[in-house]
Amino acid sequence: MFVMNEVTPVFEARNIVKTYANHIALDNVSISVPPQSIFGLLGPNGAGKTSLIRIINQITAPDSGEILINGEKLKRKHIEDIGYLPEERGLYKKMKIGEQAIYLAQLKGMSRNEARTELKKWFIKFEIESWWNKKVEDLSKGMAQKIQFITTIIHRPKLLILDEPFSGFDPINANLIKNEIMELRDNGATIILSTHNMESVEEICDDMALINKSKKILGGKVKEVKESFSKNQYKIEFKGNMVSFANAVWGGWEMIEKEELSKNHFMVQVKLNEKMELNNFLKGLLDAVEVISFNKVALSMNEIFIKMVKENSDTQNVSEK
Amino acid sequence: MSKIGLIIKREYLSRVSKKSFLLMTVLGPILMVGFMVGAIFLGKQEDKSLNILIHDDTYVVSKPFKPTEQFNLMVFDTTGTKNLDDAKESFKNDESLDLLLYLPETIVEMNNGSGHLYFKEAPSTKTRMYLERLVNESIEKLKLKELNVSLDTYMRLKNKVSLKAIDYKSGKESNVKVKAFVGMAFGVSTFMFIFMYGTLVMKGVIEEKSSRIVEVIVSSVKPFELMMGKIIGIMFVGLTQFAVWIILSSIFGSIAMGMIDSEFYSAANQSPEVIAGMSNVQANIINTLLEINWVLLIGLFFFYFIGGYLLYGALMAAIGAAVDNETDSQQFMVPITAPLMFSYLIVILSIDNPNSPVLFWCSQIPFTSPVVMLARAAMGSEGLWWQIITSMLLLIVTFIATTWLAGKIYRTGILMHGKKITWQELWKWIKYKG
Repeated sequence: MFVMNEVTPVFEARNIVKTYANHIALDNVSISVPPQSIFGLLGPNGAGKTSLIRIINQITAPDSGEILINGEKLKRKHIEDIGYLPEERGLYKKMKIGEQAIYLAQLKGMSRNEARTELKKWFIKFEIESWWNKKVEDLSKGMAQKIQFITTIIHRPKLLILDEPFSGFDPINANLIKNEIMELRDNGATIILSTHNMESVEEICDDMALINKSKKILGGKVKEVKESFSKNQYKIEFKGNMVSFANAVWGGWEMIEKEELSKNHFMVQVKLNEKMELNNFLKGLLDAVEVISFNKVALSMNEIFIKMVKENSDTQNVSEK
Repeated sequence: MSKIGLIIKREYLSRVSKKSFLLMTVLGPILMVGFMVGAIFLGKQEDKSLNILIHDDTYVVSKPFKPTEQFNLMVFDTTGTKNLDDAKESFKNDESLDLLLYLPETIVEMNNGSGHLYFKEAPSTKTRMYLERLVNESIEKLKLKELNVSLDTYMRLKNKVSLKAIDYKSGKESNVKVKAFVGMAFGVSTFMFIFMYGTLVMKGVIEEKSSRIVEVIVSSVKPFELMMGKIIGIMFVGLTQFAVWIILSSIFGSIAMGMIDSEFYSAANQSPEVIAGMSNVQANIINTLLEINWVLLIGLFFFYFIGGYLLYGALMAAIGAAVDNETDSQQFMVPITAPLMFSYLIVILSIDNPNSPVLFWCSQIPFTSPVVMLARAAMGSEGLWWQIITSMLLLIVTFIATTWLAGKIYRTGILMHGKKITWQELWKWIKYKG
């Protein structure tokens, strides 16, 4: 008998292709989100993130490829299992907040009474009970964002899709939302987070995928991705001759960057091969130049993002030429 | 409750509970009845008596004039020593004088001479016509004398032939004008309702799009459900308003009529001739009105209002989805409202020519039929039945088609921001799959 040794992902996109009249929005994109995790969906503007998110929400359909929710093909009924906070979000300006929240919850399949009870709890938790009978036009942007967040999660969705959830919040409220997101994950929800805020990706995301120009160019566990980018890379500051530095150790490493800080004073970044031992490399260097500092390179998600997108665009430009 | 039911309910309740809706719904019939009552009051007010000063340069024309209860005619100068300026002077100084009638010498020489009527407050048409008739009769009599023709001979010469339009089947006299007016009223009402509520649909869609709530909603319901929910919800708002208007208008109307009856008709009772004369015309109108198949007409009104509204409502929803704000909607509104405007004009012109082929075709084409067919149905004609049926079928098929088309534009448009939309762009959206 076939035994599953891996957990079924809560969400899986397989070879999604979506084209509009004259451009490709998604080109064979596959991602997989394990249960109870926070998944960072990253990419520059216009990369195709929103297209993918709209396909998951069944606002549009892919040209080919399939979406699985808990191993099941995406169907209309899954709408009630998904909570979606779009980047372009708003509320009915003239409608009372309480009524509006109940209406949105009902559209997600909740009964009126259930919606009211649940909403009251959240309004108390966020200390906004007094807003129930106010209209949205009387609220500030940050206040409206809170309501939108509540209406996204009110029906306890198993899969939450949050597109730039922190935009429009002050640092205090952004933190409140961040904690709320992590609590939701700890309580069993799976979250897809699309954001340009790389700091928050490092902080709360377990997995990530980077989409650029409609293709997925990077993906995996956030820790592993970071590790792979800084693996065997070191920054060395030294005084001495560049030629003697280059000849100090013969083979087994390569220089990635070099910068002359002043005369006979350099900062270089090197990458060691698998076989090269760090200590041996260092020993060789110490005989040739005066080492001032020696550090392991740790790229931030922000640097990885910029590096990958730049490189990807460069290679594409070359191949296009 | 199904999701589309929830949307319909929200669209309906959010509009019906608005203060402006309540105001319009209650004030509408009050204003309508108020205008009608006002018009009747104005008409009746002419009955106040007028003091009319006459300056007659011919001396003879005004001779047979006799003051009546309503028109107190006074000849200014019988001696021939005073001129028009003197007459004007005393007209100016004497506040009790309402009008000054000036008859120049030339008035008797030609067949179409003209006198002057100076006023302080503009005279009613009725007053002017009365005075014209008086002057004409007097001149005619003078000319008869001059030509040596007896009044008796003259009366025998003067003919007044009228033609009665009689339906050869029923043998009844029929007043096509009255029917055409009824038809026009119905046609214009559908036009107004379709236009009013169609615009509401468009505004609603623009509101959802510009407030950016639409993406949240279409992640819960299909865009098509949202569009249909809105269109149907607003249709019920229209039907509610219409029903309330009919009920309130008939209540206010009967109250107002009761008041008018007691005030004016008691006075009119004094002259039985007037009543006899009036009731002849009235009887004709009432007979004609009774001939109209009201049940059919009201049934048709609802059908064509709903059909026409669904057709135009869907198109307006598509426009709302395509643009970012109301000002941008103009370029798309014009071609869509043009047939509606055209049908409105056609109906007004139909009064003079109820059987023109243009009218026939416009009553079949679904973009004009909701307005035009109602007008034709009120006038009634041979073989209208099959025409009504084909027109209804065409309307149904067309609104299904426009709704389908609008759904495609709507689906793409509502999520599109900050892009200048052209007709080519819309065509592209229609062709998108999935």
